[in-house]
Amino acid sequence: MKFVKIGLSLVITVALVYFLNRSWNFGKPIPPLGKFLDPFGGFWQNAEVKERENETLLLEGLTDEVIIHYDSLLIPHVFANNDEDLYLAQGYVTAKNRLWQMEFQTHAAAGRISEIIGAAALDYDRTQRRRGMVFAAENSLKSMEGDPVAKAMVDNYTRGINLHIESLSYKDLPLEYKLLNYSPEPWTNLKCGLLLKNMALTLNIGDKDLEMTNALKLFGKDVIELLWPDDEVVTDPIVDNTGNWKFEPVTLDSLPLALPDELITITPLEKPSKDVGSNNWAVSGSKTHTGSPILSNDPHLNLTLPSIWYVIHLQAPGVNVMGASLPGSPAVISGFNDSIAWGVTNAQRDLVDWFKIEFKDKSKSEYMSDGQWKAARKMIEKFSIKGSDPFYDTITYTHHGPVTFDESFHGDNELKSYAFRWIAHDPSEEILTFYKLNRGKNHDDYMEALNHYTSPAQNFVFASTSGDIAMRIQGKFPVRRKDEGKYVLDGTKTATEWQAYIPNDQNVMYKNPARGFVSSANQYPTDPTYPYYITATSYEAYRNRRINKLLTEMSDITPRDMMEMQLDNFNLKAAESLPAFLSYVDTTTFSQPQRNAYRILSAWDYENSIESEAASYYEAWWDSLFPLVWDEIKNSKVALDYPTAYQTIKLLKEKPELSFFDIVETPEKETARELVHQAFIKGVEKVETWKIEKKKEPHWADYKDTFIAHLLQGLPAFSYHVQHGGNHDIVNASNGRSGPSWRMVVSLEKTKVRAWGVYPGGQSGNPGSPFYNSMLNTWATGEHYQFQFEPEANKIKSVISSITLKPATK
Amino acid sequence: MKFIIQLLGTIVVCFVLQSFLPWWTMAVGAFTVAYLVGNKGFPAFVAGFIGVAILWLGMAFYIDALTHSILTEKINRLLPLNAFVATLIVGGLVGGFASLTGSLIRDRR
Repeated sequence: MKFVKIGLSLVITVALVYFLNRSWNFGKPIPPLGKFLDPFGGFWQNAEVKERENETLLLEGLTDEVIIHYDSLLIPHVFANNDEDLYLAQGYVTAKNRLWQMEFQTHAAAGRISEIIGAAALDYDRTQRRRGMVFAAENSLKSMEGDPVAKAMVDNYTRGINLHIESLSYKDLPLEYKLLNYSPEPWTNLKCGLLLKNMALTLNIGDKDLEMTNALKLFGKDVIELLWPDDEVVTDPIVDNTGNWKFEPVTLDSLPLALPDELITITPLEKPSKDVGSNNWAVSGSKTHTGSPILSNDPHLNLTLPSIWYVIHLQAPGVNVMGASLPGSPAVISGFNDSIAWGVTNAQRDLVDWFKIEFKDKSKSEYMSDGQWKAARKMIEKFSIKGSDPFYDTITYTHHGPVTFDESFHGDNELKSYAFRWIAHDPSEEILTFYKLNRGKNHDDYMEALNHYTSPAQNFVFASTSGDIAMRIQGKFPVRRKDEGKYVLDGTKTATEWQAYIPNDQNVMYKNPARGFVSSANQYPTDPTYPYYITATSYEAYRNRRINKLLTEMSDITPRDMMEMQLDNFNLKAAESLPAFLSYVDTTTFSQPQRNAYRILSAWDYENSIESEAASYYEAWWDSLFPLVWDEIKNSKVALDYPTAYQTIKLLKEKPELSFFDIVETPEKETARELVHQAFIKGVEKVETWKIEKKKEPHWADYKDTFIAHLLQGLPAFSYHVQHGGNHDIVNASNGRSGPSWRMVVSLEKTKVRAWGVYPGGQSGNPGSPFYNSMLNTWATGEHYQFQFEPEANKIKSVISSITLKPATK
Repeated sequence: MKFIIQLLGTIVVCFVLQSFLPWWTMAVGAFTVAYLVGNKGFPAFVAGFIGVAILWLGMAFYIDALTHSILTEKINRLLPLNAFVATLIVGGLVGGFASLTGSLIRDRR
């Protein structure tokens, strides 16, 4: 009997320990509770205070001493004696604060999220592999490692990250590892490549080729010109250099391409958000108070925690640079040094094509190209899945790129396949661009640095203490014939392929224009006299004009003016559409709430400010109107893309009788007038319902609800709602889920470069750290921090702690 | 008296073990102390439960006070029950059953 008791008690104890030592999934994932709750090693150990102890660490691979001072924002100021140590220290300190995020993002890029969260992520992972993300990162890695400078940078950065990873015991692991019960794997150079390709994925993968092919078949060419023109003629391109493009452009044998004539029933991949975009501008000394240029940049990306950016100051002989870095990539990406400053916005350009592949037979081992059967390459991709058996996917590669869609993925016909051609698949050495920009002294250095830049194509703004300002749209751009790239292409003929690229010195650019400023906001790149055909999924049409208007009017500009301008909430889209919309509304049959909304809207100053109620009514109205206008597209059985907001408003105003405005489902014949009226009723109803649900007045910040979401599907416990104005199409482009992910203003005074910045998050990626969200409220209220940009270690003030890295003697 | 000895012994031994080793070594500690002290089954279970619970809660409260509850609040939103309660139950149960096993084995003849 006693032995039964003993056995039972022992079994319970062991079973309990076993149960509590591993994670489970009972509908909801459960962390390993024993490990997780243990206050000696579990989550409790991730709770931190502001104060940090000074540390001295011996690191192998370091050649000399490195000093890192954390200032009061936990920004590391890294002082090294050579480049190798500098990038090792950057890797080390970035990993110390952002390790989980760095690895998670590269796992996401590589299609490996199923390993962490299970089968729910398998479709996402397959998409990533079928886009050729790893293929792209490998190509990029090859060219990085082919250059001795880039190789040394990446090697040391990787070593720094790994030194940190090796130093970790369970109790030091970032919280998310404990929650999901896994551990970091060694960092590799490939992961740096993956991280950069992840940016290319966010920024340069926009395409609507399948959708446009369907639109061509359904509506014909005239409708395409009307709804989706190549250039919406918005005015205010990035570079207006009319008549001054003095070069001999590369030309192709301009045989017109045969346009496709078919309907494609494939379900396209989920599109990246169209609201990612950015602003940048630089004003010359002639317009500023100090007489020195001021540069400003705010990239609009998904607002996540841990933040996508990590601010760092890197100092070594020959380099003294500060600004926003991407955790997972060495160097500073958007920043300044003691001579120059630069910033980026996304260049809208079609850098994606789909080639229709004709396979010889079901084996898909050969495909047609110029009358011959070419051998295809097969890659077997293994997907490890948490809690299930691995999944295998065979991906066929043609010389165009991976065959993304086939009968096993989003397609329905085993012989109708589409191969994916993407600029980010090409070898590239962006890291060298940033290496050189970080050390740049003048405009020539900036130009040279950009020659190494391939993708994702960006509008690089520039300003220097010597007084120059400049803008250059840099990327590797195929030379295209008219309409090329808008529709799916015939993959059986090499004549349809990208045959030449625009030489770097023929890219869109200029320096010191007469108007005294340069700016970009994802709009159409240039004037009509630029000799190359340009097409993209969409262009921005409002922020650009607002920015240019403000900058034209301003003089005696101070850095504060520029910071305030980043927070500009003027809604140009509303200013251009609301008067017409209001005139379309039939006011005779109004209910009380409708009359009230109409009155509020009529008195609106077009500011999407935090308190504005009119902004809520306008946006609710617009959000109801847009799908009503394009019901033909929304309800289409095949994939179609929507025209832009700009084009929609233009048509509503100028062609109110357009056949598209008729709602197909109703017997009546609607025009713009009826649609706008119906949308108004719906919009008001939406706001009224919201008021009842939330028991609040519809102030814009509440109605919009800006949510800064943790990378793990916005875990509420680690995410925040903040009060913030703005919206898409507004300079302060915060639309609730994406927006200004980094705001920077740099005054390039000869005596001293001064800089300010902020981002919606904090320097620590640890939800248990006071620095996890320490800049969030400053960002939300529209303030900036002045950065400590000192060339000497002992001048950094309010240091909260210091790390001294010393070479370990072997 | 033996109850108090087992309780204090569990706290001290488990504290030392957990300062260096994984969380589950606490079960080995509680087991060993219970075996050596030799309480009867039920009191042994209770002493082990309370001992580990005090140790875990004490440490948790210490961290929580030091860090102004910065993480506790977030974990409370993440877990279906309060983080302190969860910590107490999990630590206590393992400590209790390990101690019970220790006491039963000593008492086997």
